[in-house]
Amino acid sequence: MDGQPSPPAPPVRAGRRWIVALLLGLVGFTAVIGSSLLGTVAIPVRTGVEILLHQMSGGALFPAPCAGTGVSVAHCGALTFIVWNLYLPEVLLALIVGAALGISGGALQGVFRNPLADPFLLGISSGGTLGAAILYVYRIQEAHADLFLPLFAFVGATATGLLILAVARGRYSSVETLLLTGVAISNLLSALLSLVLLYNPVGGEQVTFWLLGSLGSADWEVDGIAFGIVLALGTVLALYGRELNLLQLGSDVAQSAGVDAPRVRLVVILLASLTTAVAVAFTGIIGFVGLVSPHIVRRVAGTDYRVVLPGSAAVGAIFLLTARDVSYLAFPSSLLPIGIFTAFAGVPFFLYLLLRQRRGTTMGTT
Amino acid sequence: MTGPTTLPALRVRHLSVRYGARVALHDVDLQVHAGEFLALTGPNGSGKTTLIRAALGFLPATEGAVEVFGRSVEELTVHERARQMAWVPQEEGLRDQVPLRDYVLYGRYPHHGRMDGESDADRRLADRILTDVGLGDRASDGVLSLSGGERQRAVLGRALAQETPILLLDEPTAHLDIGHQLDLLGRVRTLSRTRGVTVVAALHDLNLAARFADRIVVLSHGRRVADGPPAEVLSEDLLVRVWGIAADLGRDRRTGLPFLVPHQLVQASRRDPSSPFMGPVHIVGGGGSAEAFLRALTEEGFGLSAGALHLLDSDAEVAEALSIPSAIEAPFAPLGAEARERHRALLGAARAIVVCPFAVGPSNLSNLLDVLPFVDRAPTFLMSAPPIRERDFCGGEAEKAYRALSDAGATEVMDLGGLLGALRAVFPSSPSATQDGPRTTAERG
Repeated sequence: MDGQPSPPAPPVRAGRRWIVALLLGLVGFTAVIGSSLLGTVAIPVRTGVEILLHQMSGGALFPAPCAGTGVSVAHCGALTFIVWNLYLPEVLLALIVGAALGISGGALQGVFRNPLADPFLLGISSGGTLGAAILYVYRIQEAHADLFLPLFAFVGATATGLLILAVARGRYSSVETLLLTGVAISNLLSALLSLVLLYNPVGGEQVTFWLLGSLGSADWEVDGIAFGIVLALGTVLALYGRELNLLQLGSDVAQSAGVDAPRVRLVVILLASLTTAVAVAFTGIIGFVGLVSPHIVRRVAGTDYRVVLPGSAAVGAIFLLTARDVSYLAFPSSLLPIGIFTAFAGVPFFLYLLLRQRRGTTMGTT
Repeated sequence: MTGPTTLPALRVRHLSVRYGARVALHDVDLQVHAGEFLALTGPNGSGKTTLIRAALGFLPATEGAVEVFGRSVEELTVHERARQMAWVPQEEGLRDQVPLRDYVLYGRYPHHGRMDGESDADRRLADRILTDVGLGDRASDGVLSLSGGERQRAVLGRALAQETPILLLDEPTAHLDIGHQLDLLGRVRTLSRTRGVTVVAALHDLNLAARFADRIVVLSHGRRVADGPPAEVLSEDLLVRVWGIAADLGRDRRTGLPFLVPHQLVQASRRDPSSPFMGPVHIVGGGGSAEAFLRALTEEGFGLSAGALHLLDSDAEVAEALSIPSAIEAPFAPLGAEARERHRALLGAARAIVVCPFAVGPSNLSNLLDVLPFVDRAPTFLMSAPPIRERDFCGGEAEKAYRALSDAGATEVMDLGGLLGALRAVFPSSPSATQDGPRTTAERG
């Protein structure tokens, strides 16, 4: 009997569960409000909070938000616009995109049985970017770009996902194969992207923004579209928890227990690519959220994919929001691409995982 | 087995499976009745695992089909198969620290719809199964904290949670020590008896197969070569022919079941699947007449047996040094009943027989006479230099015996070179021709 016994899950009574949920909701709400005060323009805390609560309550709370703070009416209007139409949508988009990347990462790690799977590392994000770049550079459907952007990103991301599935066929649980496949495909896509940009410099700055990842495109309409799609896809994806649990025992065992492994793999990769594509379409390439989030969930809540999938969405949302806040706190007046910050947090973590792999430690047990 | 009124749990109909050019299973026909414990056995690479995987629907049949309660496996959905058959692999790749009860509950998957959660009934079932497999007190431990034996019992539990009428096990005890082997198969046996579960287990350990199975099916080179109750199927002849081992078969005094004690490998290259087995070739020798043949034929890659030799005879010493199974008699004694019986067993297993140019006296005349009944079963070669007349020390009896052998179809050969040529014709190097082919199968069937 080697190894340490796992701690049994403490029984949580239904009542306590509600209290925990309520507290978490409160903390989340506070985080959203607080984050919405952060940006390139400094917002006085009290004024900002009052404006937000005023807007959220439809005017019922703080009927005159700036009144007590000596801010002029015109200035108040400007602040309201900034907080309500720029910062809050950005915060919400960070949550939506973080959740999308988190759950995609969790699903990809499950389906490839590989702890280093991540939409960014596998090149799925790059595939989405290439699709989006083609749309922009060639000005296809310019009038309905908001709708066609996710579609093009999706085609690019999904094609990449399927390509990986085909290339790494049967060997994707090997860390080396999967990573090398990802590197190769990412490089191919970068080359294609450079080609597109070289011949069509118009629209190039838009594409550069994608390459580094940014929440700058956020507005209420974008948030609405992104939220709808991510919620729908995430819900379906989260229903594959049991299949992913069984796939961890190997394709054959899963098959013998009733999981149609090839079909489930295809469906989950399609859903994860689609979810990633939504993120890519609106914010560009944001790396490492999908890699880090599932690991945190597994560490805290165990390896059951019925928990890992929704948990990764939650942790991904928190991770990306934190990255956004940190970027504004560290560099208050500059608009730095958020992908840079997720990389700062993600790369050391990635290297740590890689080193642990090479030492042969079993994943998911810590 | 005429006209069974109930449908067999599993029916394998003329099943052939090929991987590219390699034939893994060839025209295997088999029925497993409901509630039966069938052991599939055979050497490595004989097709046991292929048969189990084909039954599970993991491998497509090249020809033929597998039917589960009358329905072809290929017609069933993955979900439907999982409600009929559960699988215990040789080793399951567990890598996450899943609590044992949750792990067993994974087996409930085929009984759930997409939106269903696990019910209290599922959890009660999981606890009962854990008790059945002897892990009742470990339910909340993680699977990675289990020992090897416990882990395999957990895998069995996960398979049992599928509540299928059929359980397929692929070398489930391969990585377990003897105590855990007996424990695991004993539990499977009990479940089969108490719940009427049909069990098909690939087992390469013949003693385990004989001990737990109602019936043994032996596969060799992808063909079914024997089928029946353990006591009928296991024979010294079969062991030489299929496994290339010489073994003593006995009967366990407590259980009345056959058991075997392997003592020699007939030919080491038997293990190498890339070179077809050329043998066994039985060498009848004595008085140093066989030494050169034993060495040369071994060097040429033939699998040999020898007899009946006297202990301390240089032939016997060479045979022993080369690990060639032999029928041996005490020094200078006439060949006794026991040595002759063993000699005949080896002759019976042989696919070619060589009679060396030994001097024949009354004490070893039986060596020639014993060959006679086997001449029409295996090509026989008589070494005729020096001529038998010069070696006959029993007043013409030896010469008469030689003539009888020759009349029965034995071929006279003058020297080693001639013998090698003749033997190569018996064992052409194409693998299909050297397998336990239809001839042998037909004889058994």
